[in-house]
Amino acid sequence: MTERRRRILLIDDEEVVLDSCLAILEGSEHDVALASSGAEGLDKARAWAPDLVFVDLKMPGMPGMQVLDVIRSLDPTVVCIVFTGFATIGSAVEAMQLGAYDFLPKPFTPDEFRTMVRRGLEQRALVVERAALRREREALRENFAAIVSHELRSPLAAVQQNLFVTIKELEGVVSEDQQRRLERMSSRIGDLLALVNRWLRGFSIDVAPLKEGFRPVAISAPVANAVESAETEAVRKAVEVVAAVDPAAVVLGDEGALTEALLNVVGNAVKYSREGGRVVVSAVCRDGKVVVSVTDTGVGIPAADLPRIFDAFYRGQAGESGVAGAGIGLALTRRIVEAHGGSIGATSDPGRGSVFVIELPAHMAPVPGLEGAPPEQHSKGETG
Amino acid sequence: MSERKRVLIVDDDPDFAAGIRAILDTDYDTVMVHNPKDGWEALQKDRYDLLCLDIMMGRGAEGVMMARKIRKDKVLREMPVLIITGLREQIAYLFPGQAVHPGFVAVDELVEKPVEPALLLERVAALIAANEARRAR
Repeated sequence: MTERRRRILLIDDEEVVLDSCLAILEGSEHDVALASSGAEGLDKARAWAPDLVFVDLKMPGMPGMQVLDVIRSLDPTVVCIVFTGFATIGSAVEAMQLGAYDFLPKPFTPDEFRTMVRRGLEQRALVVERAALRREREALRENFAAIVSHELRSPLAAVQQNLFVTIKELEGVVSEDQQRRLERMSSRIGDLLALVNRWLRGFSIDVAPLKEGFRPVAISAPVANAVESAETEAVRKAVEVVAAVDPAAVVLGDEGALTEALLNVVGNAVKYSREGGRVVVSAVCRDGKVVVSVTDTGVGIPAADLPRIFDAFYRGQAGESGVAGAGIGLALTRRIVEAHGGSIGATSDPGRGSVFVIELPAHMAPVPGLEGAPPEQHSKGETG
Repeated sequence: MSERKRVLIVDDDPDFAAGIRAILDTDYDTVMVHNPKDGWEALQKDRYDLLCLDIMMGRGAEGVMMARKIRKDKVLREMPVLIITGLREQIAYLFPGQAVHPGFVAVDELVEKPVEPALLLERVAALIAANEARRAR
């Protein structure tokens, strides 16, 4: 193997523990460093960049828990395992909450220690690989919009533009069948363009600058827009969309962005509904929050898919509905909702339907233009 | 009817520009060029009743630079501009379904690529009419 030798740092105030661990690791493929106090351990962790760290929880001076915390904050990909004495499970649990990968109760046998080393290094390899993949994904995400925009969208737009003209020019010249085929071509290109546009919007939109333009928005407006936009598909599938909105539910936000966010959820509810189904959109004020829920009686989401539906590019099994999306809509919705200081979640009963709940901080101040504006604004309004 | 109106098309994608030109050809005298430099030269040489301008040209939004130059020019800023762009978001952070008025010059409008022939013809006619009405005032 040409792989770099792995580095293991052992931090323990008991010399006998350090010595025996060193003896166990003797002749292994790994480099080992020892530290007999928390402070010394941290210095070595900084200077030496270990792959795996064993740290004793009970040490004089800097406690092991703090050492663990600092090492994890220096580099979260370092795998830490704690030594615990007297089977102190409580502190082991606490350590694992701080990010320790596992714990090894003292006293331990050489085999137990070797196994822990092997598992720790395996975990380290996984963590490093995962971090690399994440960086790759970020790089792809940053460049994706530009690549798609120039390489894919432009030629599609050029083809479609010429199809538009050609179809018009050939009207009455070609047979009805030929005309229909041309229109199908144009329609398919149109679908492709719409897909590319959804990807682009999901990736290239920077939601941060939205905040500068936030103003009070009655949630009824974006709800109405979203329901209206979903209407075509709903009518086609005979799905009934019902909205029940508290007119006093107001948030601070961007109406266009909120419309986009809600449209993705309402559109999905319609898309995954069966013929003749029902979608209910409700918005209420509750505990300082505006809670918008979208309930459908559709195919539902398998429990295994539920935690990942808000991830970009994630698409559940099309399942019984037979439809599939681009895997962008809900990711974009989450980004918009989070830019508004809110949260989104979903629950589902597979086969019976899903409920999506968006919570946004309620805006308490009066909406400009409504009566009863606070006196400090303006004693006399400009409008009558 | 009065004489045919003149439309300049500036778009760096020759195929796309040809698609636009084919729609406008029946009703207008059209000239097409494929970069902002040639576009600017064409505007110096001849008078046009409308400019169809692409935004994403060359290495970035060179169309925006051209629109800014036009805005600074006392004569050219009297000409209506129809911006034809890949994505509305390329102009500003905007969402579909919202009215978009780029506001580079007195009379302008924005449409997304590709553009339906009927919509293109309607917008071009409306912009030219709106500009004539404005100047008559």
